[in-house]
Parts: sequence; C-alpha cells; structure tokens
Amino acid sequence: MITDTIDFRKTAKNEPEWLYKLRRDSWSAYHDSPLPDRVVHLWRYTPPEQFLINDPHDAMTAAIPMPKGNGHKIKTLTEVQAALGYNLSDMTTLTQLTPELSEQGVRFLDLATAIETGAGPVQEYLGKLISSDFGKFEAANMALWNIGFYLYIPDNVVIEKPIYLNRIPTGTNTMTRLLVVAGKNSQATLIDNYRDQAESAAGQFNSIIEIFADDHSRLRYVGLQDFSEKITGYITQRSRIGNQTDLLTVQSILGGTVSKVNTGTILDGRGGNSRIYGLLFGDNNQHFDLHTLHNHRSHEAYSNIDVKVVLKDKATSAYTGLIRIEEKTVNNEAYQENRNLLLNHGPKAESIPELEILSDEVRCTHGATMGPLDPDMIFYLKSRGIDYKQAVRMIVSGFFEPTLKNIPDDLHDAVNGIILDKLEKH
Amino acid sequence: MKNTIFAFKNIHVQVESKEVVRGVSLEIGPGEKHAIMGKNGSGKSSLANALAGHPAYEITKGEAYINGQNLLEMDATERARAGLFLAFQYPLAIPGVTVANFLRSAVRARNGGDESVLKTFRKDLMEMFAFLEIDKSFAARYINDGFSGGEKKRLEILQMAMLKPKMAILDETDSGLDIDALKIVSKGINQASPSDGGVLLITHYQRLLNYVKPDYVHVMMDGRIVQSGGPELALKLEDQGYDWLESKNARAVEV
Repeated sequence: MITDTIDFRKTAKNEPEWLYKLRRDSWSAYHDSPLPDRVVHLWRYTPPEQFLINDPHDAMTAAIPMPKGNGHKIKTLTEVQAALGYNLSDMTTLTQLTPELSEQGVRFLDLATAIETGAGPVQEYLGKLISSDFGKFEAANMALWNIGFYLYIPDNVVIEKPIYLNRIPTGTNTMTRLLVVAGKNSQATLIDNYRDQAESAAGQFNSIIEIFADDHSRLRYVGLQDFSEKITGYITQRSRIGNQTDLLTVQSILGGTVSKVNTGTILDGRGGNSRIYGLLFGDNNQHFDLHTLHNHRSHEAYSNIDVKVVLKDKATSAYTGLIRIEEKTVNNEAYQENRNLLLNHGPKAESIPELEILSDEVRCTHGATMGPLDPDMIFYLKSRGIDYKQAVRMIVSGFFEPTLKNIPDDLHDAVNGIILDKLEKH
Repeated sequence: MKNTIFAFKNIHVQVESKEVVRGVSLEIGPGEKHAIMGKNGSGKSSLANALAGHPAYEITKGEAYINGQNLLEMDATERARAGLFLAFQYPLAIPGVTVANFLRSAVRARNGGDESVLKTFRKDLMEMFAFLEIDKSFAARYINDGFSGGEKKRLEILQMAMLKPKMAILDETDSGLDIDALKIVSKGINQASPSDGGVLLITHYQRLLNYVKPDYVHVMMDGRIVQSGGPELALKLEDQGYDWLESKNARAVEV
C-alpha cells in the first residue's frame, strides 16, 4: 500500500501531522478520482493515461532526501547567482544562498527541511494555489512529492542576481514542488531549469510551482524545460499577485516526449501586471500541450500572453488559453496572442484562445496565427547570398526574438542556442 | 560575342503554368546601364524574379550567364554569391531579424564566408546610412518591419551598396517614391553601381532615368522586347506613351 509509504515517510522524515494528513487525503483524491474528461479543452489534445503514476513507491522511496553533506559534490554558487538549488538522481536536494541574503532574512531551502525546522510559514501556503482538488495529477504530486524547494523573501528585500534551480528526473516518477513566498516590495528572478542526464532512466516528471507575490513586489519566473525524449513532463504553475505587483512568467518548452504545461496568474490586487510568454519548439514526434490562465479578480490590472510555437518533423502542439475577468471588476486590460510557425508539412498545431468576461469595463483582445515558412521570406534572404539553412535559422530566431527579448540575457542565449541546435538536426 | 557581365538569351518564364516571358535576350557589358520599360503585366518583374532565382518563376527555356558562369545551374543563393543582386519591387518584412545582423550575414555570405570583410562593416554601414539619409536607428530595427515605402526602397539600395554586386537588377525601385526620395535613391544607385559591372533598371516611367542615365533602353510588351534604343527612346515613351509601339507591334504580328 502506498499509504504505508506515506506512513514510512512521516516517521523517517519526521513530517508533521498536517502534512501527513495532506498527503493521505491527496492520495485518496488522486486514487479515487476519474481520469480527466477529454471533452474539456484542457485535456482534449493529450491523453491523460500517460500521467498516471506507474510506481508510487518509487516516487517516494527510492531514497529519502538528505539536505546536505552526504558525500555528494556540492556545487558552489557562481558570481552571477544569488542562490542555487538542485536535486540529484537519488532525490538528494541541495540549496545554497549567499550569506548576505541569508542575513537579510531570505530563506532558500529544501522544502522538507523548511517544514521540519519551521523555517517559514509553509503550512499557510503549501497547496493553497494548487490543491489536491485542482486536478488528478496535481493531487498525486501533493501526496507523493519528495523533492521540494522553498523560497521566502521578506518584505523590501531586493535580490538582484537570479536564483537558479536545476531539476533532474530521479526515476520512473519524479515528484517535485516549488513554493515561493515573496513579501511586499521584494524583487527576484528565478530561473527554473529542467534537464535530464545521459544516464537518467525514462520516466515521468511531475512538477508543481506555487508563487505568492505580495503587494508591490516584482518577480520574474523563467522555466526552461529541455528534457530528452525519454521524459514525459507534467508541469502546473500558479501565481497569485497582489496590488501593483509585477510578474513576468516565461515558459520555454523545448524538450520531452510529451510535455503538458499549465501556467497561470491570478491577478488578485489592484493594478497588478502579469505577462506570460511561451516559447515552444518541437521536433521529431514531440507533443506539447500548453494551457495559460489569466484570472483578473481585482481592478485596473494588465495582463498579456504571447505564445510562440515552432514545429518541425512530426511534432504536434496544442495551445489553449483562458482569460477570465471576474464580475464587478473594472478597467482591466487583457491580451492574448498565439503564433505558430510550421517548418514542414508534418507537424500539427492547435490554438484555442478563450475569454470569459463577466465585467463590462474591460479591454481584451486575442488572436492566433498559423502558417508555414513564407517562401518569399526565404527567397528574399537567399537573394542576398544567404543559404537556405541559414535563412530558416534567421526566420525562426526572428520569430522568437520579440518574445526572447523579454527574458534575462543569460537565458536569452541559452534558449536561442537550444532552438538553433534543434534546427541543425537532420 | 562582346565582353559581357550579364547575358541572357531567349528566356521564357512560366508562373503557375502561364507563360509570362516569351523569349527575351539581352547582353550587358561592363559599366553599362540598361533600362527595361513597359506597362504593368508586360513581364518585366517576372523576368527579374526569374533571373534572381525565385522558385515560383520557372525558366522553361533559354540561357543566362553572369561573368561567364551559367546562371541557370545555380539557386538564388549561388546567384547572389556570383554577384547578382535584385532590388525588390515590394521588399519583404522579416520580423525579429535586425537590419545590421541581416546585412552582416549577407556581406559575409556574399564574400564566401570570409570574416575579414567584416572588419570595416560597421563603419561602411554607418557611412551608407548617412549617404542615403537613413537614420542610424534603423540598424537595430527589424528588416522592413513597419518601414514606409520610401524607407524600404532606400534599404534595398543600401543593401546593393553593401553587397557590391557585379550585376544589379532594380525592379521598380522608383515606384512609390516622392521626388525627394527619388533623388536620394538615384544618388544611391549611381554611387553603388559597379564601374565594371552592369545595371538593369526596370521601370514604368522615364522619371527615374532623369537621375540614373541608361545607356540603352528596351521596351517590353506581352513578354517580349519589342523595341530597343538609346536614352531617347525613354523620352519618346514619356511623350507618346506605349500606344504607338502597341500598334506597331500588332502590325508586325499581322505581317
């Protein structure tokens, strides 16, 4: 019984009663719920069976994470990093933070350690944006998560350099979480890097990200998923932003055999600003399924979604995006655009933007385009001596460029590099 | 055969299986400027696109040489590297690719990948911007993205100047320009025209030829060159229109 494993973990990791109960209830929620309904847009394009947990014991018991000092080589922070968190293939989770930030009250810890040592108000936030009612596979994560990161930024603390997370798959079922609690007037950039290693086994990767950004904070979250095609990824992210809060969310989805990403921001305060940028490049038989949500629950907030998809070979992609403006809210602005570029005749892309607008005082637009490489653009570049391959490279880079410009410089080159590598293949 | 930079013979072009150029021949020597005039739909632009290697314009018959090399065995990239340049009638926008990066790639490609040609790139580019009265900020803008008609045409001539072609075909570079822009563009064409290469101006109007003086003028009608002469031919067309040629040509067909 998996419940025995949860019991075991409680003992081994000294998990508190509330978490134990949360895990048990979440397991029931996962176990007892039917598969998601394929009629809803969220599940129309991706069969859910593949996200079922093959081996729940493996997810929890392959190893019990040790916070530090178990003989692994510990990476040291580089000059460009404010903090670094990573997990190893045996689920060991390690974190580092500069002493200066530590002194300012910033906490960046393995989530289990944060709970065990009471290092922060974890119970108040964990699962509050993505509970076990959110969905079947979100419930599975809550029951079984074994790798977790916790970032707490006190009010008025500005973290200039980016915080890096490196996450790797640990077996047939990897269950990982990130919880960010950012105080008033705080600032930070998080770079969340998903990548497997050559020796990683094939498996599923389930990641949940919850971000709480309090009034007047400015956060940037940049996800970079570059799994090999051994990995099936399931990533759900929700952020809640307060008054006059500014959040940039970037999802670069480049790897994995199947990658289902659900990302969204709840604009809970007056004058909030949330931009979500998606950069997807699929090749071979990759399948991407990206859902975005902007939920305006307050007034005078601005949101913008810009999702760019490039596909080649037989890759497929589905983008569904929902903008929801709640009743009795005024003067919200919400924009949504999805553009798809198909490099040959094999790939297929779907695009379904949706609006649920329950308020009259709102400005909204949404649009989608889909098309092949423009032969006239190719000819224009060729007529200047540029060869076909380079012409395609330039057009694809150019297609992403206006979106890429919005992400931090060091990642700009990394993402563009992966895209160009994918173009080089074949 | 005289010493030619660019020569083509009996060129036939099909677009969507319709023949739009029906046997056109021309020889262009070093330092020569030729103009092809003609009404809309006479096949001028199709000829230009076909010669530059646009895949939608199929050359079904004929021969073409640049500097003695067989043009028709090359794709558009190779033609450009061999020294052919086409200034587009409707230059395309390429979002996300900056003018400076594009030109840098093009100059490198035109010179067979030789990086050393890029040493003076920035300086040359800035000089050409100044000469063509284009604001420096255009270097960082995306190619033709949101440019006015005149700005696009200036950018075409800027590319010509940077790429130093042996043979430049200018497809209706004067269309859509006001008189001031026309003067600037003409100044650019004259400056960028290779002294040992050729220029082929394709135009509706005499107007451009006041500023860029052709040595020879040819008139195209219904896919063929129906009349050739000196610069005075352009003046006659300006004065009398194309009708006299149409009736003459119709008679010729009847005979």
